[in-house]
Amino acid sequence: MRSLLGAAIEEEADLTLVDMEAGLEHLSRSGGTLAYADVLLMVMEPSRKSILTAQRTLHLADELGIPKSYGVGNKARLPEDAEFFRTVAAEYGVPLAGIVPHDAEVVEADRSNHVLGPGQALAVRKVVAEIASVVDATVAAGNGADAEREALLREREKVDARLAQLQQAD
Amino acid sequence: MKLGIVGKGGVGKTTLSALICQHYAAQGKRVLAVDTDSNPNLALSLGLSPAEADAVPVLPRALVVGTGNGAISPAQLLADYGVPTPSEVTLLNAMAVTQAGAG
Repeated sequence: MRSLLGAAIEEEADLTLVDMEAGLEHLSRSGGTLAYADVLLMVMEPSRKSILTAQRTLHLADELGIPKSYGVGNKARLPEDAEFFRTVAAEYGVPLAGIVPHDAEVVEADRSNHVLGPGQALAVRKVVAEIASVVDATVAAGNGADAEREALLREREKVDARLAQLQQAD
Repeated sequence: MKLGIVGKGGVGKTTLSALICQHYAAQGKRVLAVDTDSNPNLALSLGLSPAEADAVPVLPRALVVGTGNGAISPAQLLADYGVPTPSEVTLLNAMAVTQAGAG
């Protein structure tokens, strides 16, 4: 039952989102049950350190066998912030899934401890939808590759079996 | 599919996690949010009150990384430890699973 939070739980949910507060390095303690993810999103602030952290996380995620990781730029107040995310993320080899604008409604919801309503933080929600599209496309591409690999393996079995039959007939 | 969200404290990770969950839930998807934080902040972002957040049962580490002794099915695990939220997202508190020295 090592993978109770891994593959097994996916029968019960279309999306399992793990908020990895402990940091990726701590997740190896979970025996990989939580670290195992199809896609990893690394949330960043518009600071060089934040993007450098994402670059390190990217390598760690690779080692853990997470197929794809993206940076998400958050709290972009100015056009310069978005530009900074694009430039420095490219410099450090961090692929970006989206840049989320600073939103006063997000800050206010946090301060007053209210959940964001469906009509709130619309600019943020628009980017969240874009990020979800990137995630969906990534997972679909991964599934496509898996399906092709499985089909090829089945084909190889058939070919091998037939070749063995022919060899016996000789 | 499984999505992991990482980032240092204060970058807005929990708020983004909640919004991503809400996005998929609004599409009619069954969404499970797993919080690994010792402070259950995701619960608040998904609409639970601080008192409700404190009452979310912690998933025992042994259930997840144990040797199979007392193991339960994923459906039973969600029934026992999953908490519904106003965001139409089921929340699981897996803090103990990643706690230092917990196992």
